[in-house]
Amino acid sequence: MSGFRGIAAISGYAETPFSRARVDKGEPRLTAEEYYAWALELLLKQTGLEKKDLTGQGVGIIGSEWPHSEIWSAEAIQNLGLEPKLLVRADHGGANAAALLVQGVLAIHAGYVEHFLMLGADTPLSITGPASRTWRYDENYLKPFGTMGPNSLIAMAMRRYMNDYGAKPEHFGTISVVQRKHATLNPNAYLKAPLTMEDYLNSRLISDPLRLLDICIWVNGGFAILLSSASAAKRITDKPVSILGFGEWHNPNAGQPAHDITTTGVKIAAEQAYKMAGITQRDVSLFQPYDDYTVAVLMQIEDAGFCKKGEAGRFVEENDISYQGQLPINTGGGQLSAGQAGMAGGFLHFVEAARQLRGEAGQRQVKDARIGLVTSLGCVGFEGHFINNYAVVLGGEV
Amino acid sequence: MSSYPKPLPEVTPLTKPFWEASKRGELLLQRCKNCSTYIWYPRHICINCGSRELEWVKASGRGKVYSYTIVRQVIGNSPEFSKEIPFVVAEIELDEGVRICSNIVGVKPEDVSIGMPVEVFFEECTPEISLPKFKPAR
Repeated sequence: MSGFRGIAAISGYAETPFSRARVDKGEPRLTAEEYYAWALELLLKQTGLEKKDLTGQGVGIIGSEWPHSEIWSAEAIQNLGLEPKLLVRADHGGANAAALLVQGVLAIHAGYVEHFLMLGADTPLSITGPASRTWRYDENYLKPFGTMGPNSLIAMAMRRYMNDYGAKPEHFGTISVVQRKHATLNPNAYLKAPLTMEDYLNSRLISDPLRLLDICIWVNGGFAILLSSASAAKRITDKPVSILGFGEWHNPNAGQPAHDITTTGVKIAAEQAYKMAGITQRDVSLFQPYDDYTVAVLMQIEDAGFCKKGEAGRFVEENDISYQGQLPINTGGGQLSAGQAGMAGGFLHFVEAARQLRGEAGQRQVKDARIGLVTSLGCVGFEGHFINNYAVVLGGEV
Repeated sequence: MSSYPKPLPEVTPLTKPFWEASKRGELLLQRCKNCSTYIWYPRHICINCGSRELEWVKASGRGKVYSYTIVRQVIGNSPEFSKEIPFVVAEIELDEGVRICSNIVGVKPEDVSIGMPVEVFFEECTPEISLPKFKPAR
C-alpha cells in the first residue's frame, strides 16, 4: 500500500464566492451548472492550462441536493464541453471530495490518467424549480418540438447512417432477428417467440425510420458481478474470467458545435482496450455490444474495428453473427430481446460474456469461446451522439 | 397563465435574450468572444476554449437539414402532439456550423430530405415564447 505515497498531488484549485441567493441583498442566485462553469474557468486561469489539456484525462463529479439527477455526470461534462477518458461520480454526501480524491489517486497511480479533475458545486439555497433540474437540454431545446426521448434522436442518427452509408432496413432487421434467435435459447429472456425478417419489416414505424423492433424492451430485473484480485478469484472458482483490457471515452469531439452522429466513442475506447489486452479485434470470439437500438449495434461493429466505417450492413449480410457464426453478437438476445432492466441494462452484456467464457451458456454456447468484447454506451446527448463509451476485453484464461 | 398545451422552454437569465429576440423574429446564437466558436444549445461556458465571455449574436436563420425523423407515435411527451402526427423533427445545420433541433413545416413529411435548404420562422406559442421553426428556403 505504501506504493501510493506521493504518487499524486493537488496541482490547482478554485473556489467561487458564496451566496445565499438573497437577491434582495444583491446576492447572485445561480444554478449548480453556472457554478461548475465558473469554477472550471477559475481553475484554468490559475493553472494556466488550456481546456484541451484536460481532454483524455479524468473527471470526477458529485451529485446534487436536487434529487432529479440521473446520468448527471454526462450532462455536466456536455454542458462544460469536457472530453475525459475517465468519468466517475460520487454520491458520498459530505465525503464527496474525499471519495473522488481516492478514485483519482487510484487512476493516476495505475497510469490510467495523468490528471483527475474533481468538480463539486451545489446550490442548496435554490434547489426548487426547473432551473436546478437535469436534462434541461431535453426539456428546453428538444421536447418543445415534439421529440420523443431517445427514440427521435436515434431515429435521426439512423436516417443519417442510412443516407451516408446506404444501409438498408434489412441490415437493421438482421440484428433484431439474430438476437431474437439467441433469446429463444435463453431461459431468462423476456421475448422468446421466434422472429422473421418479414415480422421485422412489418413492425410499425415509431419514429421513421425507427421501427418498434429496432428498440430494446424494458423489463424489471437485477444483476450482481463480483470482481476479485486474480489470486482471490482462483480461491472462489476454477473458471475466473479475467479483465484483460478496458478503455473509455466521454463526450467525443466535445468542443465542436456539430458531431458526426454515426460514429461512437467506442472507436477510441476499443483501441485502448485492445492495446491494454495485447490483442486485436481478430482475437475476439464473441461480441456483446450495447443494444438499446439496432443502429447502435451496427455502429459498434464498425467502431470496434470488425469492418470499416459504413460497412456493418454488408458485414452482417456476409457474415453469420449468430452464436454459431464467425462473430457471435449478443448471444443471449441482448436488450432487444432478453430485455433492458432500466439503468441496469448494461450489466446484461457482462453477465452473458462471463457465462459464455465459462462455458455455461447451454444451447447457445459459442464453441472455443476464449476472448469476449463488451462495449457499453450511455446517455444520448443533445445531437444524438452517445456521451459515455466503454470497451472491455475479457478472457477465460490469461 | 397561458393555455398552450405542449411543453415550453423555461426562460432563464441565460436564455432571456434569445427568447426576447424570437419575439422580434430574430434567431440568436451564442458566440465566444475569445475564440469565436458558435454555440447551440445555450451554455454558461465556451465548449471549445472554456471562457465564460459569451455573447448573443444574430444568426442567418438559414441552414440545411442534417437529419430528420417522421414522428408517428407519442412516447414520453405531451399527448397533444398526437394531433399533429405524422410530423417532422429535424436537426438543422445552420450556416454558422451549429446544429439546432426543430420542426420542418410547410412541406409534406415524405418530401423532406437530408441537405434540403431551410430557413427559420417563428411560431407564436404564448406572449413570452415563440419557437423557432423551419420551412423550405425560398
